[in-house]
Amino acid sequence: MIKFTINGKLVQADQGDMLLTVIRREGIDVPSQCHHQAVEPSGACRLCMVEITRQEWDGWSKFVTSCLYPVEDGLMVTTHSAKVIQLRKTIIDLYLARHPNSTEIMRLASEYGVTRTTYETVADGDDCIMCGLCTRICAHMGFSAISTVGRGHDKEIAPPLKEAPTDCTGCLSCANNCPTNFIEFTRDSNSLTIWGRTFETLACSQCGKTTITRDFAEHLSKTRDIPIAYFEVCDDCHRKETAKTMGRVVNWTREVQA
Amino acid sequence: MNHDFSKLPEIFDRYSRNPESLIAVLQDIQQEYHYLPCEALQETAKNLSVPLSKVFSVSTFYNAFSLTPRGKKIIRICKGTACHIRGAYQLQHQFETMLGIKAGETSKDLKYTLEVVNCVGACAMAPVVIVDEKYHGSVDVSNVKRLIKRG
Ligand code: SF4
Ligand code: FES
Ligand code: FES
Repeated sequence: MIKFTINGKLVQADQGDMLLTVIRREGIDVPSQCHHQAVEPSGACRLCMVEITRQEWDGWSKFVTSCLYPVEDGLMVTTHSAKVIQLRKTIIDLYLARHPNSTEIMRLASEYGVTRTTYETVADGDDCIMCGLCTRICAHMGFSAISTVGRGHDKEIAPPLKEAPTDCTGCLSCANNCPTNFIEFTRDSNSLTIWGRTFETLACSQCGKTTITRDFAEHLSKTRDIPIAYFEVCDDCHRKETAKTMGRVVNWTREVQA
Repeated sequence: MNHDFSKLPEIFDRYSRNPESLIAVLQDIQQEYHYLPCEALQETAKNLSVPLSKVFSVSTFYNAFSLTPRGKKIIRICKGTACHIRGAYQLQHQFETMLGIKAGETSKDLKYTLEVVNCVGACAMAPVVIVDEKYHGSVDVSNVKRLIKRG
């Protein structure tokens, strides 16, 4: 068990826990854009910076990305010192310059009282903040259909050769987890298009609502050993079905007990 | 473009077929074909068990790799600070006019590729031009023709 303090309060954590996890567990709000509990942290967005020091550091302190910093005995963490806030504001300032049209960035900026950027605005800047969450999640799903392409200013997220990705199943994990909603997809009555590829979608056999793509269903069915038919019923109808069964069980128990 | 890809297995055999060999394999492919043909990327992904997206990511990250065919002769003009001050700009202009291509481009006949690079660590001999792997120092505009012809 590791013992250290966050904003003066003594906390405990397991060896290997990252600071951000513990900070959040303590109910403290530290911003982040590139963090997701399901995948390895990558320290891309820099927003989760906190100030750390130790008794023996003689008043000296440093700033670290809390998502990537493992807990240590005796550490003294400050999540909202004036310096940390200033640092976060600078980062937000930069984001604001590069992604002036992103509602998520604007929300963050207003939360931190950053009203306008002090840098030159990239007027037509897109909303991708290069947090890399989409690519990490895609890899985690076992597809690795997209990746970063290029470097520096021109870096972007794209499928290989910038063509419709063969490894994609249209699971939408990237789009659903993109912090700025940058990844676009379109739906039709029986299809879904993302990254330039169109997928057939399955429909609920009970209510007709679209469920997931056939490719994704086939993948899940193969890897998790679930029959395809399971995906031909939507979540709502699954729930109704379960409720009905539960109701029957309850009635049955009542009857038995009566 | 049609290529003879029979060389590929031999390249793969030079290294162990795992993800760690990715950069080494790509370097050898680049050397063999002067660029990374799309089919070669796909074969690399398959043979090294690396997702194609990763192969693409790495190939587009490093300047040493090119996804479009490059010329037989590669001319690099250093435009680092020292070379810039000592006239790299004029050199670039001269090369561009004589070759009829801009920096970063390859001539239609695939004979030449002209590139601009940053400090190559030979500032004392600025301005520097590298033809294929050979370094030429104190280059001035009057040398350009010779460099194009003979390197
Ligand atoms: S597309 Fe979204 S998730 Fe992917 S890097 Fe850009 S901002 Fe992050
Ligand atoms: S959450 Fe830590 S750097 Fe993005
Ligand atoms: S600037 Fe050209 S070699 Fe250093």
